[in-house]
Amino acid sequence: MTALAALAFLTGQLTQLAPVDILILVLYFAIVLFIGFYVKGSTNTSEEFFLAGREMTAWIAGLSFVSANLGSLELMGWAGAAYQYGMLATHWYWIGAIPAMLFLGIVMMPFYYISKTHSVPGYLQLRFGEGARGLSAVSFGLMTILMSGVNMYAMALVMKVVLGWNISFSIWVGAITVAIYVMLGGLKSAIINEVLQFVLIWAGAALIPILGLVEAGGWNNLKANIAHNIGSNDYTHLWTTLGHFRDNPMGVHWTGIVFGLGFVVSFGYWTTDFLVVQRVLSANNLRAAKMAPVIGAAFKMAVPLIVIVPGLIALGLNNHGVPLFHLVGENQVSAANPYSYNEVLPLMLIRYCGPGLLGLGITALVAGFMSGMAGNVSAFSTVWTYDLYGAFINKKASDKHYVAMGRWSTVVGMLISIATAYLVANAASIMDYVQALFSFFIAPLFGTVVLGMLWKRATKAGGFWGLLAGTASSIGMWVYTSFGTEIHKALALSRVALSSDARPMAENLYRALWSWLICVAVTVVVSYMTKPTPEAQLAGLVYGATPIPDDGATSIWQKPIFWAVIVIIVFFALNIIFF
Amino acid sequence: MATGTGRGEALSIWFFVGALTLVYGIVLLPYGAWEWFGHHEAHTVLNNLHPTFWWGLLLTVFGGFYTIRFRPRAGGSNKV
Repeated sequence: MTALAALAFLTGQLTQLAPVDILILVLYFAIVLFIGFYVKGSTNTSEEFFLAGREMTAWIAGLSFVSANLGSLELMGWAGAAYQYGMLATHWYWIGAIPAMLFLGIVMMPFYYISKTHSVPGYLQLRFGEGARGLSAVSFGLMTILMSGVNMYAMALVMKVVLGWNISFSIWVGAITVAIYVMLGGLKSAIINEVLQFVLIWAGAALIPILGLVEAGGWNNLKANIAHNIGSNDYTHLWTTLGHFRDNPMGVHWTGIVFGLGFVVSFGYWTTDFLVVQRVLSANNLRAAKMAPVIGAAFKMAVPLIVIVPGLIALGLNNHGVPLFHLVGENQVSAANPYSYNEVLPLMLIRYCGPGLLGLGITALVAGFMSGMAGNVSAFSTVWTYDLYGAFINKKASDKHYVAMGRWSTVVGMLISIATAYLVANAASIMDYVQALFSFFIAPLFGTVVLGMLWKRATKAGGFWGLLAGTASSIGMWVYTSFGTEIHKALALSRVALSSDARPMAENLYRALWSWLICVAVTVVVSYMTKPTPEAQLAGLVYGATPIPDDGATSIWQKPIFWAVIVIIVFFALNIIFF
Repeated sequence: MATGTGRGEALSIWFFVGALTLVYGIVLLPYGAWEWFGHHEAHTVLNNLHPTFWWGLLLTVFGGFYTIRFRPRAGGSNKV
């Protein structure tokens, strides 16, 4: 630690790559570019370019589905959160993902799939008309391209901190590589790389928890070490500390975790964010489309091993009873405390991995960042081409023209992302705003989509005004709690989260919950005030007006519901074990 | 048809997964052996367990299995 700190202080970097590490990194870039050129020949039609030809098996769509969310920003951020908040961070991987993923597969996927929509805004157009599609497409397009820029900057920053690389070098190398393979191979190229990235992340990061647990002397010793370092048992339980806001390091209440995170935020993200839903839409039949999220959920449950456990290991390490690490918030970094929470994963990587393994770990991080960019840019090019350009600007172009537009919008999208990355580089607070912006749309969109799928009485006007009111209320609450004096912000937070002991993390959860409720309430009221949509027009779009086709499963082993039940049983078992 | 890479393409997506991990295994395994048997271990925690060698071996076996199982075959099907 001392030597590392000295290296970081003297050179501004944590470590350096050996030739074998550089070889591993170069091999990754070579295969990624090869894949782009290789699949270009089979991405000539719009269905091939934007939906990967709808020919993916359940396993590929499922791994891609979970991998699209497993970017390095999330990996490093949640490993840092595990150091900061302990096991509570696991909720974002279990209750904050698993029920929603299963709900998508079993309940919602049939409607997305049999409506033959190409995007989530496309479904909104079929169900609620052009207004809801336009609103959703503009907000989604803007957010994805900004998030791609944030990913790009985050990668450049990590490479600078860990390896001392120049920020511009990282931005341009990453952006050009991603632009080439997505422009050439569209979603197909992105999906192949996401599956590769999933394997790479495990290959590069799984050694950290294995060696960390060996060093700690097992899970029980790790828990004892953490309790010794922190002076409390609160960091190694999932639920026992959630009885009151002040009883846990996150400052949240179980209602926020269950209803805010487990219901609204999670269902909003996993069932309506087109970035992840697009992967499942590429499935080659209805059964594969239903199975993909179930397979994704099974793998998602294992992710805390490589994200949460490294954070906990860092929290439990000590040297003769004195904690080995003292990580701080980004704005508290100093010569005495040179590392922030977000650097816990690279620090653990350097602790256990020498030349070769270090290159593998760094490659996994780079793959995660690039896949995050590719996911955002491929989703952006689809929504731009189908739901904005094709819907409002040029409705009658040829299929070939739309594919060309998809390729060019990939390049333009990437250039805007680069501009965003430089903007963020010059004003880091923009990163927080971009991430907050993303949260504005997710919860209300879930309200609109779920009512559209499950409630026949929901009308076009109801859907549009509900979505608008939910989004506006979310922005309003965020402004209310984010600006003004510290006293005002604390008061605003206590009102939104219903407790004076609530901390900022609780604000996100309760804001999502309220904005979802407002969206649902407005949709219901406006729907009852407007003329119902004739049932004939709802066929293929709404539960009760749509005969669900048989998914072709002939035995219990082939039924998605069977595997969903297995996953949910394991999910409950894990929550009880780590209660 | 090769799984995941497109109609008419010969290479399955799983072949790429196998090939990449196999290549990494082939790089790491001899490097780990050189570190272990040549006493050139990196100054990392638990380097006495020779993680580079064992991890390289695991990747070689995993990658080798997938590469062979999903190798392109003339007129054959790679579908899983």
